[in-house]
Amino acid sequence: MSAGQCSGIVRSPALEDGIMQLEDYLITEEPYYRAIGGEVALFEAAYARRMPMMLKGPTGCGKTRFIEHMAWRLRRPLITVACHEDMTASDLVGRFLLDASGTVWHDGPLTLAVRHGAICYLDEIVEARQDTTVVIHPLTDDRRILPLEKRNETVRAHPDFQLVISYNPGYQSVLKDLKESTKQRFGAIEFRYPSTEVETEIVAHEAGIGGAVAEKLVKIGQRSRNLKGHGLDEGASTRMLIQAGRLIAEGVALASACEVALVLPITDDLDIREALSQTIAACA
Amino acid sequence: MNPAAGAILKERSFADAERGLKAYLMALWRMHPVLRGVTAQAGPSAPRRVSFDGGYIRVAALHSETRADLIYWAALAHVAAHLIFTPGRSPIGALKPLQIALVSLIEDARVEALAIREYPGLHRLWAPFHAAPPGSAPTAEFLMARLSRALIDPAYRDDDPWVRKGRTMFFDHRLQWEQPAISRQIGGLLGNDLGQMRIQFNAKTYVVEPAYRDDNAGLWDWGDAPPQSADDSEVPIEAFRMVRQENDDPSPQRRSHDESASAAISAREQPIAEDAGVPVARYGEWDYALGRERPDWTTIMEFEAQRTPTVGLDRLLNEYSDVESRIQKLIRSARVGRPVRMRRQPEGERLDLDSCIRAAIDCRLGVSPDPRVYETSEMRDRDLAVLVLLDISESTKEFVKHTTTTVLSMERAATALLAQAMEGLGDPFAIHAFCSNGRGEVRYYRVKDFDQRYDAAAAERLAALRGGLSTRVGAALRHAHREIERRQSHRRLVLVITDGEPADVDVEDPKYLVEDARKAVQELAHAGIDVFCVGLDGGGDSYLTRIFGRRNAVQIDRIAALPEKLPALYFRLTA
Repeated sequence: MSAGQCSGIVRSPALEDGIMQLEDYLITEEPYYRAIGGEVALFEAAYARRMPMMLKGPTGCGKTRFIEHMAWRLRRPLITVACHEDMTASDLVGRFLLDASGTVWHDGPLTLAVRHGAICYLDEIVEARQDTTVVIHPLTDDRRILPLEKRNETVRAHPDFQLVISYNPGYQSVLKDLKESTKQRFGAIEFRYPSTEVETEIVAHEAGIGGAVAEKLVKIGQRSRNLKGHGLDEGASTRMLIQAGRLIAEGVALASACEVALVLPITDDLDIREALSQTIAACA
Repeated sequence: MNPAAGAILKERSFADAERGLKAYLMALWRMHPVLRGVTAQAGPSAPRRVSFDGGYIRVAALHSETRADLIYWAALAHVAAHLIFTPGRSPIGALKPLQIALVSLIEDARVEALAIREYPGLHRLWAPFHAAPPGSAPTAEFLMARLSRALIDPAYRDDDPWVRKGRTMFFDHRLQWEQPAISRQIGGLLGNDLGQMRIQFNAKTYVVEPAYRDDNAGLWDWGDAPPQSADDSEVPIEAFRMVRQENDDPSPQRRSHDESASAAISAREQPIAEDAGVPVARYGEWDYALGRERPDWTTIMEFEAQRTPTVGLDRLLNEYSDVESRIQKLIRSARVGRPVRMRRQPEGERLDLDSCIRAAIDCRLGVSPDPRVYETSEMRDRDLAVLVLLDISESTKEFVKHTTTTVLSMERAATALLAQAMEGLGDPFAIHAFCSNGRGEVRYYRVKDFDQRYDAAAAERLAALRGGLSTRVGAALRHAHREIERRQSHRRLVLVITDGEPADVDVEDPKYLVEDARKAVQELAHAGIDVFCVGLDGGGDSYLTRIFGRRNAVQIDRIAALPEKLPALYFRLTA
């Protein structure tokens, strides 16, 4: 399974080759995704209308895995952009570069997706500055156009194009938040930690461990989430539990695996670390 | 080793572990009890076991031969097991002291067994503390210690018939462990047996073993006489409701219980000072009906700021320790400063790609190119001064809905947190408060001035603010104007926190003071000073908008969230 990731410029050959080149972004093997509700059907319905979608939830809850799964399911190429504060509109849309013969326009990842009908996934969009994110506005209403002023061109979105963003609303959103006008253009699916049974299944499958051990890990994860707002910003995510499980599958003892994959990365506070270690000891 | 020195060492280790211990209880059972630390008493009257009373846990200096590093963890986990599985205090009825001790022992074993079902690791935590040897002398204390060990340790072998009987009875009732009544049943029988065997038992010197277990005082309804004179300078919290939180907001009931103690203390400690204020300034007031300013209409009286110990304020701030740490993080990220990319510079460290391309295109066209093709990074600087203006009028004495905290206490806590934020960011700031008693007496209090630090003295002045009188905002704003206009900074901000409509005893028309306040805000804006208002009044939209403008006022409808929201608002305003 591979999903192309780019945070920069992509070489853009002639338009006819565009389809061929997007094949790099097609996902060929099914990414494992365990549905926790009706989100698969919901997204399919949203895609049928090319509705812009927002995936909300804490980190490590399966947002990226979900969109990869859906892209595979819908057989569309998926272009992912990891957003960060230094990103400019040009990084998304494209820019002129100089070569021996003169200036050549290179489409950015967003333009590529718009032109050739891929799903464009902007990950952690709240990290980008607001003057960068407004670029997506004309794409997210009925016009579905992307104006390229520097080329004096207006790209009409390919009928298969869809925009998806991920959004993790944490306390950090005091300083950085999406504008109201941006938020309202999207439908949203919320991702939370799954129920005990489902999370156990996911951890067991992805880590390659038995159900009993997975159950213990999920229990530990849930207890750590009780500390959200009481010493931790977030409890252990499903992804962290999977990492711990993978270490256990390699023969590491449960306590050490949890120390390495859960306790040490999640906090530097010695008191909280000790509390977590004792909690793990109690659950084991 | 000198026992007093040993006590001191253990004392420090509880204090070190306290924060971790609280997090431990929250993680395992979402429990947030009140922990009172070790007291400094030494000698025979010092409490030797942890004691609990509802959700209020008094920790003693604990000593143990084995696993001394884990004893506080074991002790608090044990009390937590009681808080979950022991339904409340039981009446003593006709039980004799020996039976009481035995019923408590069985109850200890019962709640631990239930806790171990949920968290198997607790067995590894508790079992090593049970070290009573099987062949010891048959005194009541030793026999009971051996029985405790037999109940928790399946591998322990003991030949004493009484111990074996107790173990058999306990495990025969395995399916009824959820029922508290079995403790009384089994313990009562076992106590009877010991009594008939004429085993001596001294209730006065008996101490529960092992050392991590509590003194069982919290299990029984002692009627009038409490069992031991505890360190009772504190008001014990009566009923404990487990915190079942769906979201992060602390339940108002829990906070109310914590607050009743602190409110009681602050009411006792604050003196009612009736000193005279000093008239320092006169300002005009705008009469909207006449369409003119009334010159020298109001008088500002500055009152000496009192000081009072910050016990109540600190206690309330404890509730918000997470907000405090969040603020610290925001300070670090805001202050270290985000480097801003400056494009199209005539010189710099890097080439600005877009400008270079434009220049190359211009060259092609035969037009002379713009030489500003560089880009560089600059650290964003903070250059602003803030004056926080607190409304302390009569209405702030009201209680916030569903709590026993007053609006003023909330304002205080929020201001204290905000002050921490501003101090951390290095922004010069002042905190003043106002209320009014007619136009001739607009009271103004200086909690902290621009050139002072926000230190313990300032916190004491903040804690000493008392609510009362009316709200003549316009006059206060004009005085604040004078205070802040002397500051030389790029941006100047007056942040008003008010819970009610402007009003005063000598003004009939409700619109009059609203219009005057609006005029004052305009005067400030004219001088280049921003004014922002945080309104705490649910119905305040109309007059707040009228006075401050739609974009410069915000309503906090849940006042309990004010301490959390105010610093966040500040960061956003001044980013």
